[in-house]
Amino acid sequence: MHGLFRWSSKWWPGLIPFAILWVLAAWVSTVPLEAELAANSGTALKSTVLDKTQISVAGRDVSFAALAFSEEGRRSAVASVEAAPGVRLVNDGTRLVAEAKPFVWVAERDNVRVTLWGTAPLPASKARIVEAARAALNGTEVVDRMGLARGAPARFDAATLLLLDQVAKLKDGKIIVQDTAISLAGMARELGGREAIAAALKNLPEGFSVAANDVKAPPYVFQANKDPVAVTLTLSGYVPDNNVHAALVATAGRKFANEKIVDNLKASIGAPSGFSAAVTSALGALSRLSTGTLIVSDREVKLSGDALYEAAAGQIRAGLAKELPTGWTTKPEVSVKPAASPVDSTVCRQLFAQNLAKGRIRFETNSASINADSAGLLDRLIEIAMRCPTTAVEIVGHTDGDGDAGFNQILSEKRAQAVQDYLVKAGLPADRFSTTGYGSSQPIAGNETDEGKLQNRRIEFLVRQ
Amino acid sequence: MAYLAIFLWGWLFGAFLLGFGMGWIAVVYRGKPVPKVWIQRLSVLAVVIVGVAVARVVPGRFGYWLDLGLALFGFYLVGCSIGSWLRDWVVSRHVRAG
Repeated sequence: MHGLFRWSSKWWPGLIPFAILWVLAAWVSTVPLEAELAANSGTALKSTVLDKTQISVAGRDVSFAALAFSEEGRRSAVASVEAAPGVRLVNDGTRLVAEAKPFVWVAERDNVRVTLWGTAPLPASKARIVEAARAALNGTEVVDRMGLARGAPARFDAATLLLLDQVAKLKDGKIIVQDTAISLAGMARELGGREAIAAALKNLPEGFSVAANDVKAPPYVFQANKDPVAVTLTLSGYVPDNNVHAALVATAGRKFANEKIVDNLKASIGAPSGFSAAVTSALGALSRLSTGTLIVSDREVKLSGDALYEAAAGQIRAGLAKELPTGWTTKPEVSVKPAASPVDSTVCRQLFAQNLAKGRIRFETNSASINADSAGLLDRLIEIAMRCPTTAVEIVGHTDGDGDAGFNQILSEKRAQAVQDYLVKAGLPADRFSTTGYGSSQPIAGNETDEGKLQNRRIEFLVRQ
Repeated sequence: MAYLAIFLWGWLFGAFLLGFGMGWIAVVYRGKPVPKVWIQRLSVLAVVIVGVAVARVVPGRFGYWLDLGLALFGFYLVGCSIGSWLRDWVVSRHVRAG
């Protein structure tokens, strides 16, 4: 031991190279060590939930700043960095995330994108919300403007995930969560969407409640387009159910005897009351136009097109407003088609025959009242009569073989007379027309079948000159 | 500590070798020894510096460099001790054999 003490007094010359070694070691090792300690600290924080984490290392001392979501989490994060291998000291710059009061979260949808505002409780739930929004709104741009804050109500994530599914059902609008109160506004994407949203809101997690649900249903639209070139009537939009669907298509078939019916209607709930009656009236008005479009949107009926003659235009405008159920409004934009060129009596005869072959003038059962479904056909007959102003026309009524022959005779005369009255009312001179009734004496088909009877019940226009 | 020892093993081994060499020479070195008083004073200084390092008073890089210096110095001293003892053992065996 004594020797060691003696020799140590001669160890000092080695201190000069030692100092050089020290400086070299400091020079070379400092930066790699700092980098490694930063990596070690980051690894130690991997399982800790933090926001805005910043780590800087000087020597072996780590300056650590972050936002923690609970006091416990904050302490555990600092302890994790302190325990990281090689770390000497931790300069603790951690803070708790601010508490939001009230805790507000907003999902707003416009035509282009969905924007998420407000606050989420944790980065993981923020990411989950954005991911759920992208999944629910397949293809729609999702803009994340959410911040992070403490103070979220329990089961916040479950509530927002459910609400994001409702955002997908909106065309535009806003869903606001304020603490546990939920407000919804906007317009549903599809008919029935409003009801689907209201039903889904019943499954909100415990504690959440709907403060306001102002989601509106989209307009209930029914459209009909009469195309004289393609000779089609195209029906599109919604009808309340399959029964109404079938009834409206049948009505259209009667009113538009000449046109081919193209049926693109879909059944959907949400129809305004009086829908069926209103659409039936409006289709009647459309059938009197040479070309036209009918748009029924909620309780508003828009009819545009060309009537075949002046008097018809006035009747359509006034009639539609009168026939619609209470609470319905109408906007008829009916103009008059330019008068067609005059034709001689031969062409006139052909035109009458053509129109009466495709469609029939209908009457109420056992009555001489003209059925409203025949208005379109009568308008066309009137237009033809106007094109040959010098011809005299005999209107002839026939019935089928059912019932008393005397009654049928009188009925056929009255029906022919009713048609003449209709033509005169439309502005044609009465002296051009004469009427005859033949009862069931001149059948054109057998009276044994319904089909045969149908053909026998008829009105003929005979051009005399 | 173990982490630092592994990270800096090359430098520490260098300090050990340097000390070993110095210790080896010191046994037969005829230069002027450091006076006893100075050794005592330097020992006190060393204890104070170790105290400062243990107390982690010096911050940041300077703190690390101090720790580094002390660790290297420790290995230097251990190297010196082993070197001197080994040289003394070799010399004395040689003398006995002679």
